[in-house]
Amino acid sequence: MSRKRKLFIYTMLLVVLVITVLVATAIGAVAIPPSETLRVIVARLTNWEQLVQDIPETTVAIIWNLRLPRVLLGALIGASLALAGVGFQGLLRNPLADPFTIGVSSGAATGAALAIFLRQLIGFNFPHMIPIFAFIGAFMALFFVFNLAKIGGQVPVVTLLLAGVVVSSFLSAVISLLMVLAGEDMQGIYFWLSGGLVMRSWPQIWIVAPYLVIGFLVLIAYARDLNVLLMGEETAMNLGVNVEQTKRVLLVTASLITAAAVSVSGMIGFVGLIIPHAVRIVTGPDHRILLPTSALVGASFLVWADVVARTILAPQEIPVGIITAFVGAPFFIYLLRKKKQEIRL
Amino acid sequence: MKVEIKDLTFTYGEHAVLRGATFSIPTGSFLGIIGPNGSGKTTMLKLISRLLKPEGGCIFLGDRALEDFGHKELARTMAVVAQDTTAAYQFTVEDVVLMGRAPYIGRFQAETAEDYKIVHHALEVTGCFHLRHRAITELSGGERQRVMIARALAQEPKVLLLDEPTSHLDIGYQQEILDLVKKLSTVDGLTVVAVLHDLNLAAYYCQELVLLHQGKIKAWGLPHEVITAENIAEVYGTRVLVTPHPVFGTPQIALLPGTRRREEKQKAPHLHLIAGGGSGGELMRDLTEAGYYLTAGVLNVGDSDWEAARALDIQVVAEVPFSGITEERHRENLALVAKAAAVILAEIPLGHGNLLNLQAALAAADAGKPVYLLEEKQQKRDFTGGLGEQLLAEVKQKGIVVREKARLYQLLKEKFPVAGMEQEKGLSN
Repeated sequence: MSRKRKLFIYTMLLVVLVITVLVATAIGAVAIPPSETLRVIVARLTNWEQLVQDIPETTVAIIWNLRLPRVLLGALIGASLALAGVGFQGLLRNPLADPFTIGVSSGAATGAALAIFLRQLIGFNFPHMIPIFAFIGAFMALFFVFNLAKIGGQVPVVTLLLAGVVVSSFLSAVISLLMVLAGEDMQGIYFWLSGGLVMRSWPQIWIVAPYLVIGFLVLIAYARDLNVLLMGEETAMNLGVNVEQTKRVLLVTASLITAAAVSVSGMIGFVGLIIPHAVRIVTGPDHRILLPTSALVGASFLVWADVVARTILAPQEIPVGIITAFVGAPFFIYLLRKKKQEIRL
Repeated sequence: MKVEIKDLTFTYGEHAVLRGATFSIPTGSFLGIIGPNGSGKTTMLKLISRLLKPEGGCIFLGDRALEDFGHKELARTMAVVAQDTTAAYQFTVEDVVLMGRAPYIGRFQAETAEDYKIVHHALEVTGCFHLRHRAITELSGGERQRVMIARALAQEPKVLLLDEPTSHLDIGYQQEILDLVKKLSTVDGLTVVAVLHDLNLAAYYCQELVLLHQGKIKAWGLPHEVITAENIAEVYGTRVLVTPHPVFGTPQIALLPGTRRREEKQKAPHLHLIAGGGSGGELMRDLTEAGYYLTAGVLNVGDSDWEAARALDIQVVAEVPFSGITEERHRENLALVAKAAAVILAEIPLGHGNLLNLQAALAAADAGKPVYLLEEKQQKRDFTGGLGEQLLAEVKQKGIVVREKARLYQLLKEKFPVAGMEQEKGLSN
């Protein structure tokens, strides 16, 4: 792809993202014009208090303490899930892989549910407990799925999806058990599980952001290796890629990004699956373009999904995971049908 | 760069794939690895390219052991063109060839103008330059194979490994690819090791061949030293005829399908064929393939029917070249006729020299054996001034005249079924 076209795509997607953030912050139970939203953001970022003199204190608080962090978190989660999806798909050379289908999300969810359970029931607590438990859960799930799916050193599409389903089902049983055991306190787990951005604010942003930034840098550093890996592992080795090391680094990175996202937002499915696909149709398979583009598109996508989630049945909010599933499931079916000839049992 | 393989062993599970292979390839040479399926060819190539780790023995590139090379360093020294070139992702041809530069580019570096220059050169050499903006997924098998070679060249290697580079291509592309590879070795000094399926192509293009058999090197040397009827028979379990290439003299293989061992055939119904002058070659082939135990006589040494009989391992009563049938040969012929269940008389030209062959057929008929006369062309073939015609008429009267071969085979099948006849496996290609 030419430099000019790349620049055009990035600029456009950045503009879309900025507008998305502004408009999404403006939308809500109390209508606040985007111009005021913009003024509040600029004022807070630059300490320019005169700019918001005519805006009521409560409006400023709604924007800065409630809406903006939620929108930004949505963008970060969307970008994280899309990036992890690109990573898994590229690494496994499997268009149906994403954090959700291969069970990493479920693993993270189980870890997080266990953390909530322990905290609420026996008061066991330490800083960053939920993210840490989510990471451990994600890695354990990844380990099980991989070893279940492996046939003679290879990981075929069909067995990977089956193993993902098996492990996910098992883990949801574990979560159900935890919820039953939690009794009265199951609300916490349930609320968290259904995948939403409700009541999330700045602290959660600071959990996700470092993993997203570092993860993105690692993935970009391995973008050329990911491209070469698409030609097959043996070819990659012949082209000088240290395949085993690359696989380890990328699996850990993608799982970390996923676990961080899942630990604050619960289970939001399909973003990691459909965004890389939709983007690939436009940009082609080159990871150097695919990675940043998917992150940007994923960010905007999840923000809009969240807008729909909190407005469609207003004042009732529905978990954003429902919206992404409604959009993602049909797309997934379409992909399965298209890829049918490639999948042989 | 010289490549040396020393006492290489490799076991896959319980199964020993390679059991002590030693050979070397001098700089700028083109070595072909041949052998039947499962003989360890691909394993050998994977060991040389370090995709597999040998269990014992070692491999040297130049004067350094293979395991001492770093990942990228090895990719700058040796390039591999794999057998399977199917591509699922829509990279452009240029992008794919640019991947050949990966071992030269750092993690955070971009491709330089120099990289593009090398890539374009590789595209030009392989005749792919015009394809550079096309998606790799849209290309034909031959085009894709050339792109993969271009990518290998973009690595600027000193050693090039190819795994059956022509297995999915038609003969035009096969030749094109191998011409290119040959040129890379002779002109550019690349050391080439290729696993090849087609023995004729291997013999023609390679300077040296290694013939693998059950994980061991059966033969290593010049094509005519390696490709001999004996070696092929032992390794592939098939009889072939090795003849020099009509123009270049390299060994070429002609298949002789359906040639079973003589002891095995002797259990089958015995047919005796009276032929000569090229009238019997096709019959010999078909009847041998059908599983009959076939003998023939009397044929002159050097006659094309005699050549065919020899190639098919058919027992023959042979007379010296260009001479009439002697009494002695006639008696030998009659002895075979006496043992046969039936006699087939091919459409032979009749001369004074071979009238005894008609006598033999007559003797068979008189002894009550079925005698089949093939009369397909029905043209003048008596050159004896009536004597032959007269004898032939007599044979016809006592025998069975058949107008075409298919009919003959059918009659034979009905009367002399071959028990337990299974198709022999020929040289797959």
